[in-house]
Amino acid sequence: MYGWHRKILVVDLTSGTFQEEALPGEVAHTWLGGRGLGTYWLYHHLEQGIDPLGADNHLVFAAGPLAGTRAPASGRVSASTKSPLTGTVFDSNAGGAFGVRLKSCGYEALVVTGRSASPVYLKVSPGTVSLEPAEALWGQDTRAAHRHLAGAGGPGSSVVCIGPAGENLVRFASVAVDGRRSLGRGGLGAVMGAKGLKGIVARGNMPTAIADPEGAGFVCYEMEKVLKANPVTSQALPEFGTAVLVNLLNQAGAWPAGNFRQSSFSGAEAISGEALAGSLMEKRFACYRCPIGCGRLTRTSRDRGEGPEYESIWALGANLGVEDLQVIAEANYLCNRLGLDTISTGGTLACAAELGLEADFGRPGVLLDLIEKIAFRRGVGDELAEGSRRLAEKYGRPELAMQVKGLELPAYDPRGLKGQGLAYATSNRGGCHLRANMLGPEILGTPKRVNRFAWAGKAGLVIVMQHTSAVLDSLVMCKFTSFALGDEHYARLLTRVTGEEYRPQDLQVIGERVWNLERLFNLREGFARADDTLPPRLTSTPVSDGPGRGQIVELEPMLGEYYRFREWDEHGRPTPAKLARLGLTEVGSGGDAV
Amino acid sequence: MRYEEFALVGRDLFASGLISSHGGNLSVRMGDRVLITRRGAMLAHLTDEDIIETGLHKNDSGVALASSEIIVHRAIYRQTNALAVVHAHPLCAVTLSLYQDTLVPVDSEGSYLLHQVPVVAAAMTIGSEEVASLVAPVLASYRVVVVRGHGSFAVGQFLEEAWQWTSALEASCQILYRVKLLGQPIKEYRQQSENYHTW
Repeated sequence: MYGWHRKILVVDLTSGTFQEEALPGEVAHTWLGGRGLGTYWLYHHLEQGIDPLGADNHLVFAAGPLAGTRAPASGRVSASTKSPLTGTVFDSNAGGAFGVRLKSCGYEALVVTGRSASPVYLKVSPGTVSLEPAEALWGQDTRAAHRHLAGAGGPGSSVVCIGPAGENLVRFASVAVDGRRSLGRGGLGAVMGAKGLKGIVARGNMPTAIADPEGAGFVCYEMEKVLKANPVTSQALPEFGTAVLVNLLNQAGAWPAGNFRQSSFSGAEAISGEALAGSLMEKRFACYRCPIGCGRLTRTSRDRGEGPEYESIWALGANLGVEDLQVIAEANYLCNRLGLDTISTGGTLACAAELGLEADFGRPGVLLDLIEKIAFRRGVGDELAEGSRRLAEKYGRPELAMQVKGLELPAYDPRGLKGQGLAYATSNRGGCHLRANMLGPEILGTPKRVNRFAWAGKAGLVIVMQHTSAVLDSLVMCKFTSFALGDEHYARLLTRVTGEEYRPQDLQVIGERVWNLERLFNLREGFARADDTLPPRLTSTPVSDGPGRGQIVELEPMLGEYYRFREWDEHGRPTPAKLARLGLTEVGSGGDAV
Repeated sequence: MRYEEFALVGRDLFASGLISSHGGNLSVRMGDRVLITRRGAMLAHLTDEDIIETGLHKNDSGVALASSEIIVHRAIYRQTNALAVVHAHPLCAVTLSLYQDTLVPVDSEGSYLLHQVPVVAAAMTIGSEEVASLVAPVLASYRVVVVRGHGSFAVGQFLEEAWQWTSALEASCQILYRVKLLGQPIKEYRQQSENYHTW
């Protein structure tokens, strides 16, 4: 059994019992791992309409077939569930080493079901699984909880845990991974909180068997060579981190500010990657087996921690009119400690500001105070903890929530990247930049540069990017590797590790299959074409100045092209012919299939 | 010009000597439609009227004007996720294809971008089902393939990308050809180059 251990650990927190389930070879081959396996599991095990914060929801942590090999940036973990923020199927993906540690316990995936009567944490090692009391940890922030759990796990262990936001069921609560990374989006922390699960510790030593070690070594060598040769992965990300994008996007007039009322921010330079590198930066860090090393450890006069990443600088900075990097960094540290998604926190606060509920985030203490109120659901924080869509709907101004399917939009104004607009609208987990990396062709020129203001022909490109994203999330490899590597690298390595043939084209088909199964899940939950949309501001209010002056997102024609290209009907439903080609016919008709 | 990239790539193909005056063809996929150069078009002088739209799965009247290689382009789009195809007649690549079953670059750029390029052989080399059935499956695994004695088919998400693989292929083959003429073993400068034939 090369590549996969072929076992899934299922933990029922209601009864406090564990069982191992076999992972059939055909399922592993077809869905790979990570997001693909998580989607497959959820589609088959969740009843339509279940409460994401109820005992019936499942939370699937999964590694990938390349974890435990020399593959670059392959120690990550994917976690899938039904999101309390969006109601869609939702996977989140984080760096660190939890994926490879879970796998080295002998499991491809860990499924958490049920609800514990009292707080617990889960301890996993090869052949030993235990639930430990966590009353003493309940209420602790992620830093303290991580310290405790890492100590309990011992050297070489990896930890995921939640903070007070998850315990208090904030709909955009995150999960901290190894104290430095986060399963940030979609409220997975709230799902853990609802289950009474404070954290998980994994520690193991089981190697991943490789079918052709010499061949795999050659492909890894080639991959590392290409990563070193590409300036994005060998210079820009290592030197400036993800924040290298601040000035690039701002100069392109595609960096939204003030809840997307502007498309550039006058204070960008002061909060850019260059400014961060020259002021707060202490040192870089890299995730497990990552040659890129985009992580930042930073320090302010009062605190220190990881980040802020590009998206956090935007969400807690430009989007709120804050141009003090210290304030942004401390707000970011606080979100991480309390276990909050920085993008949704910033997006919800920007919405609140436009609703007239809050303002003046740059004033000392205001932003930090509001973040605490959200995490503990105190005062106005209780409303904000529901996310921007529910907040804006409550106040009768749904158009002021900059979200898709309930997920707050990230730091790219799609009026300046039309393909990204289509990617936001059609994303299966809501407004997200990681479902299809149109930043590559529309801004960075990888693999080739396209006209970012054009909309015709973007559908095909978005679809390829969506499939690539689904594959990387199923291999559980970092998407940043794809700035330099292509499908052929991943396919050749996968073939040599597993001993099963994967052509580059096969990976695209796997990505397409994952995408369509996610779509089927969402359709079953009642989502429809009307949900493949953008906030009206982006489709009807032209950019007022800068390089994108006069631009809107021409969503409707792009969406029509997209559905046709996908072979979906006009309602956004995969056609029977498409499902048949993907081997999803029985699934699409409510039956069971690999 | 509706699709400027066609004109740019067509001009460069001719200027680089990778096609003769009326040789080669280009296409892009738009969902279930294909835009392809007109049969007999001079790629160095493409105009709007030289870009023909036809069906990917079904024929329509557009096929009467489309390149004779439309059958190969369609097969590639049906069997891969390519969004663009470039077909050219690169002299050195075609020459070497008459002797070899695979082209393994020895230069740095070719090693980096291509590793190796398969050669397929067909008796009916132009616009044939046979070529379509041989070329499309190979392009599920490789960026570019050479049809023995005929020319190259390269795929990409953009015309520019497929053009890049075509250009790199010919540059590598020019060097391979000279290496063969010199007849001496090369001084190896790469690591693991003995594995390139396994790519």
